[in-house]
Amino acid sequence: MTGFWGRFARNRQAVLGLGILAVVGLIAATAHLFFPEDPFSLAGRSMSPPGANGFLLGSDSLGRDVAAGIAHGAKTSLLIGLVATIVAVCIGVIMGALAGYYGGWIDDVLMRTTEMFQTIPSFIFAILLVAIMKPSIESIIIAIAVVSWPAVARLVRGEFLSLRNREFVQACHTVGMSDVRIMLGEILPNCLSPIIVIGSLMVATAILIESGLAFLGLGDPNIMSWGFQIGAGRTLLRSAWWVCTFPGIAILLTVLAINLVGEGLNDALNPRLRERS
Amino acid sequence: MTTAGKRARYVLKRLAQAIPIVLAIVILNFLLLQLAEGDAVDVLAGEAGSATPEYMAELRAKFGLDQPIHVQLARYLWNVVQLDLGYSFRHEMPVSELIVDRVFATGLLMVATILLAVGFGILLGLLAAVGLNTWRDTAISIFALITYATPLFWVGLMLIVVFSLNLGWFPTSGMENVAMFYEGWDRVFNIAHHLVLPTITLSLFYLALYTRLMRASMLEQAGQDYVTTARAKGLTERRIVFVHVLRNALLPVVTMAGVQVGALIGGSVIVESVFAWPGLGMLAFEALFARDLNLLLGIFLLSAVLVVAVNLVVDIIYSMLDPRIEVG
Amino acid sequence: MTIRTWLATGLAASFLAFAGPAAQAQTAGGTFVYIVQPEPPSLASYLSTSGPIGLVAPKIYDGLFDYDNDLNIVPSLAESYEVSEDGKTVTFNLRQGVKWHDGEDFTSEDVQFTVMEVLKKVHPRGPNTFREVTNIDTPDDFTAVFNLANPAPYMLRGLSGYESPIVPKHLLEGQDPRTADLANNPVGTGAYKFVEWRKGQFVRLDKNENYWREGLPYLDRVVGRFIPDASTRTAAMESEEVMYGAYGAIPNIDAVRLKDLDYIDVTTEGYSMINPMALIEFDTTDGPFADEAIRKAISLALDRSFLIENIWFGYGNPASSALSSNFDPVGLYKSGMPNYAPNADIEAAKAILTEAGYDPSGTVATAVLDLIPYGEDWRRAGEYMKQALGEIGVEVELRYEDVPTWLKRVYADYDFEMNVNFFYQLPDPVLGVHRHYGTDQIRQGTHFVNSSRYSNPELDALLAAGAQEPDAAERSAIYAQIQEILADDMPVVNLFEMEFLTVFNTKLKDHATSALGAYGPMERVWIEE
Repeated sequence: MTGFWGRFARNRQAVLGLGILAVVGLIAATAHLFFPEDPFSLAGRSMSPPGANGFLLGSDSLGRDVAAGIAHGAKTSLLIGLVATIVAVCIGVIMGALAGYYGGWIDDVLMRTTEMFQTIPSFIFAILLVAIMKPSIESIIIAIAVVSWPAVARLVRGEFLSLRNREFVQACHTVGMSDVRIMLGEILPNCLSPIIVIGSLMVATAILIESGLAFLGLGDPNIMSWGFQIGAGRTLLRSAWWVCTFPGIAILLTVLAINLVGEGLNDALNPRLRERS
Repeated sequence: MTTAGKRARYVLKRLAQAIPIVLAIVILNFLLLQLAEGDAVDVLAGEAGSATPEYMAELRAKFGLDQPIHVQLARYLWNVVQLDLGYSFRHEMPVSELIVDRVFATGLLMVATILLAVGFGILLGLLAAVGLNTWRDTAISIFALITYATPLFWVGLMLIVVFSLNLGWFPTSGMENVAMFYEGWDRVFNIAHHLVLPTITLSLFYLALYTRLMRASMLEQAGQDYVTTARAKGLTERRIVFVHVLRNALLPVVTMAGVQVGALIGGSVIVESVFAWPGLGMLAFEALFARDLNLLLGIFLLSAVLVVAVNLVVDIIYSMLDPRIEVG
Repeated sequence: MTIRTWLATGLAASFLAFAGPAAQAQTAGGTFVYIVQPEPPSLASYLSTSGPIGLVAPKIYDGLFDYDNDLNIVPSLAESYEVSEDGKTVTFNLRQGVKWHDGEDFTSEDVQFTVMEVLKKVHPRGPNTFREVTNIDTPDDFTAVFNLANPAPYMLRGLSGYESPIVPKHLLEGQDPRTADLANNPVGTGAYKFVEWRKGQFVRLDKNENYWREGLPYLDRVVGRFIPDASTRTAAMESEEVMYGAYGAIPNIDAVRLKDLDYIDVTTEGYSMINPMALIEFDTTDGPFADEAIRKAISLALDRSFLIENIWFGYGNPASSALSSNFDPVGLYKSGMPNYAPNADIEAAKAILTEAGYDPSGTVATAVLDLIPYGEDWRRAGEYMKQALGEIGVEVELRYEDVPTWLKRVYADYDFEMNVNFFYQLPDPVLGVHRHYGTDQIRQGTHFVNSSRYSNPELDALLAAGAQEPDAAERSAIYAQIQEILADDMPVVNLFEMEFLTVFNTKLKDHATSALGAYGPMERVWIEE
């Protein structure tokens, strides 16, 4: 483990990313301390520029505090990113593991299904799912997970394909281990690093998809998120730039940080690249 | 001759595999859309202001929406098999006509975006890889990531504000000037003029992907045996990079570009919306909210076919470029 | 005695009004590019009163009448009309020498066919507008005699080219008007001819060289552009790629900003015909809002001025009754209704709740508030209401769905508790307001009628009387009673009289000469060089 952290820490960009993420996480965790009010509450004068009328980052057309929205929205956006990714990774791992481990017709069926989901234009499909399930935080998470899992499935399948004939797996068979135990206990831990890398990047993509859905009016109207702020502030872009620019910057920094960390993980976990840099 | 024969068999096999996938996509989406509340008649009647239940029932009968779901599905599939995509309830036009109208605009935006994103991605990735771990590498990575992480619509609106309103270089929106109705070459230039901002916006999003892919791919290739061999043969570093490594490093980039075609149809919704570009993404978006079932399914069908076809073409190109096949 | 109305005098007067302040020489030619949003489903204005159709079709189809900004009748295809003494016969004298865009002659047959076979049968509001028309006689090519079962004075307000377009018999006869090709290839008698509709981009109309109004239109071409994103529409206005945007095409916040540019101006004229009112509908049959006390408390707890100032940026008037104050000039509006205030009166709201046995400091009711899916402003309004209603213990959760889902929920399934919406009150309450309150208007599956399912026999009787009363003073008294009952029962909380904005380039002249504004024929529009 020290080797991994050492390698990771040598990558300054990755450390910077981790730092930004830690700050975002901290803001999300302490939002209720610094902004105890409901972020939807009409806190004061509408359209106050940053710094005016006691609003650090200004207020929107209803007089809601942009800073409070960003702090509370951090929770939602991270939650959407993480939960959607976990769901997608779970589906992807199950599909990929079964396909790669068993091969044959199971592989055929599962991989055709995966291909099918990859062939549907993903953003339109996400829109369709949210529209059918009604915009809510749950439907947004489900939609993002549904369009994200195929990539994981393909990756896991590839790893399982290459690992299932290795000696240590053969050895497990001889000892009479069950298939489930072999898959979960033996093979899966050996392909965790690419899963972690792809998962970290999916969190970033999920946050971007959420903001895109919100731009098209498909956000959850009852929960503060960065996407919500952007959707609500976009018509004000020309007259009150701060309303959607600050949440936009929050998204930018978070997505950037996650990507830097993801690349750092990749470099630290991927031995082939390690040799070179 | 035998290679050509093999290739033809391969193509046929792939096509045979693709048909069930495309049909499954249609069925899946058909069923999903049944779960949606309301139908095309609700939308039409709602927009009309007021309509009697009898009138709405008549409309449903006219569109065949009063039939049981399996009958509707069977009918639809039977029509699709005969290459008939049906009729758009909302536009009162055959779906195929509506789609064909938009394919040109979408294709234009897609091709321009891919060319720009892939072109610059290759360039930046190459520069980054050649100057690995220098300030240039870092700057390029960060730049690519920022363009990726900035919300698309924000980029689009800012480009409009700067280049259309402040500088007046480009039109804000649309595909051509509707006050003038240019013809011939003037029209071509006019459309190209309108294409600039949406293409830049959309390609900025994909730029990061290609830059990173190109960089990684260059590094991957640089460690291969043939590079060592080339070095041993005494080839210059420049020649190694630009002739041998570059050529092989391009393969995964080309593959990725193929995969992206499908994503572009859907992913361009926001750009089409911001720039009023008359593409398939917006058409699909509007069809969904109008519950224009046939139209939406037609677009899904078309994009699925397109993805399958492009992937096939990419695979063929790939097999032609792959040195192992060349050697063998 | 026959009430005989010669329109020539009225026409001369309105011409003077046009010529008065702007006595400039009109320049002919040019292309008028304006915003049509969203893209219309078809151009069949005889099938649908959908807004975007109204932005295009009335430039192609004429009506029997047009209306000036004070709702006075202006002759169009009908040069004059007579109403018999008993009010049961209306004779229209039609214009001679008018040709359809395909060269055929326009005759009284077209009028008869349009009203009896098309508007009365397939138009959404036609069956109501023409419900008293039993048959139409055509003694000659240029006379159409409408025979009515009962007097229908409101009918004369519904004869514009937007509300009741006259369509060509020769292109529809023998077909189902709902499937006819005319929907996408309209042929009218209007100032502009349909040329091309490029889906997703624009619809193009060219000048009708044989238009019956001598010397008109001035423009060579009219192009309606579809631009989905509101910010882009504003930018296109600013860069002068489009010259005109109505019905909220340019968000109010941008309109306020654009107004400061020297080449762009804003007007609220051209909407007197539609008379829109923002409101909240309730499920009055079940759930918390079956209790009128809560509905009244809600009416008092909402700050109408806040909504207007912060969300509609100053455009609109707080509602003060079930009828819009725009009905004041015709004597139907009554001021001073209880339970209506421009600013929130939380104390009064709480008093009503306390009196009814609730504890407004606790939770009075929990409910889902549905929002009309017609744009961002309504979402903001919902977010405001959620906060404001929390103060009187009404806890609401917001629901924003897409158009078909919402329509089905509210009007077909009745699966809602409270719903933010807006209704066009139109130029007469019979046309626009009755549908919201009458027991006979509880029509499950029909959109924009009495979904609150409010039913009051006393009110029904008054509505029926109001529809037929010819005497102005009597009618005024009837509507005063109606408004008192509605303020007391509060089946619907009327929020504010909406004011739509038209944003236009100042080079554009004479675009607001009709009560229908953007839904009008725009035959006099010209562009200053």
